[in-house]
Amino acid sequence: MDLLELINFYLIPGIVLGSIYALGAVGITLIFAILRYAHLAHGDLATLGAFIALAVVTSLGISPLVALPFAIIATGAVAIGIDKVFYEHLRERPKIVTVMASLGIALMVRSVVQVVWGVDTQTYSRGIVRPEDYFGLRIRDREIYTVLAMVALVGVLQLFLTRSKWGKAMRAMSDNPNLALLSGIDNKKVVMLTWGIAGGLCAASGFFLGLNTELKSMMGWHMLLPMFAAAILGGVGRVEGAVLGGLIVGIAEEMSVLFIPSEYKAAMAFAILLFMLLVRPTGLLKGKVL
Amino acid sequence: MNALLSMDKITGGYGEADILQDVTIHVDQDEIVVIVGPNGAGKSTAMKSVFGLLNIRGGTMVFDGDDITGWAPNKIVQRGICYVPQVDNIFREMTIHENLEMGGFLKQGDLSAAYDRVYALFPDLKERRKTLAGSLSGGQRQMVAMGRSLMLDPKLLLLDEPTAGLSPKYMEQIFQICRDVRDTGVAILLVEQHAKQALAFADRGYVLAAGKNRHEGSGGELLADREVAEMFLGG
Repeated sequence: MDLLELINFYLIPGIVLGSIYALGAVGITLIFAILRYAHLAHGDLATLGAFIALAVVTSLGISPLVALPFAIIATGAVAIGIDKVFYEHLRERPKIVTVMASLGIALMVRSVVQVVWGVDTQTYSRGIVRPEDYFGLRIRDREIYTVLAMVALVGVLQLFLTRSKWGKAMRAMSDNPNLALLSGIDNKKVVMLTWGIAGGLCAASGFFLGLNTELKSMMGWHMLLPMFAAAILGGVGRVEGAVLGGLIVGIAEEMSVLFIPSEYKAAMAFAILLFMLLVRPTGLLKGKVL
Repeated sequence: MNALLSMDKITGGYGEADILQDVTIHVDQDEIVVIVGPNGAGKSTAMKSVFGLLNIRGGTMVFDGDDITGWAPNKIVQRGICYVPQVDNIFREMTIHENLEMGGFLKQGDLSAAYDRVYALFPDLKERRKTLAGSLSGGQRQMVAMGRSLMLDPKLLLLDEPTAGLSPKYMEQIFQICRDVRDTGVAILLVEQHAKQALAFADRGYVLAAGKNRHEGSGGELLADREVAEMFLGG
């Protein structure tokens, strides 16, 4: 097998899948950093985002990419709502209670998707898209959109976190919650902001998975493990780490097919997660140990 | 003239037990007041009671004409009291400048005057404003913590053992900064382990023991008091 083949069939799909994981992992890492628990409904929230985009596409008849902003905003609002209705009441309880609650939310969100949109496989647009040829590299437009959108969304988020007052407040809250309170930072607003951002990124993640493959009610749940592996690999609390981790997990999954049967592809994320927790639990970019 | 802060017969503690019993302390404007005493005397607890971090079951706390007994910490911050905890008093993963910005979070509008004032007190910090606070030495961290708390122009600064774990050189420097801060019109109430040095530099002091007032007076008077010297200061 030559190099071009390796890139076309394994590396490029790996980068695309990695970008999708990265979008989810960034949200997971933010929630970990600020609220200090693992959010198990993250995958199903991504499914919901993907199906909201589908609803916009079919009802307004617009192109999927135009529907994406609607899905981001709607899913962000749903995430804030879920926090207000469910998680907020558990804030003073041990964190494991919220983790378990989020598993329940995962099942609930999935059921809503199944009731509203059914359990059949759906797509944003019918037909086969042939890849374009760029000097021997075969890339589909939607693959370019996926990577560009990930870079743009994470870039905007980084600017927000490092330049704006409320972005810095989010970092302060993650860094030293007691001191943030002593400084008069409104933790309720920070929590709301965190959910809005994490929910929006979830929608983008689910949307691009649906755009590159197809929409299924279990699509997000199956992404949960790789997204967690990515967040922990990169270092919990590190946005740039989550992106790096997402790309590594995505590429590793696609490349693994070269060495192990493809049915075991999904086990790669688990192997990476296990390896990192044993060898370097702070992640590549030294995050928090929880 | 009325005192800036007067704690009158404060009784209270964390949870059910009363750590403080009838503690009475006052701080005037432009004054550095130090609380000393043996370990477990309730020094830090007395200070935390000012900042609303304690269940107060008796006595009153009056600050600048307002009865602040039982106020929540965020309301007390806005009223003009800032508190610097002994540990975990900086944002490690943020730059010095961002630490100050977070200190001024509640302030509306332009912070540049506040930055100028803080950087004038801590010229070292201005040079290193883009450095991550977590990479600084203990003494410099203490300066960041004090700088952060000064961003809201407090009238009273509460410092919990600002020199704990610092070298004598840094201790002197922190004390000097406290004097400079006082000279800008901010009163300071601090708790100190290094009783001798602290009494020598403070305007007035209180000796607490077992959660009660034991002695009070100017720094010099307390240092000269034989009982104080023997009981609490190790001769």
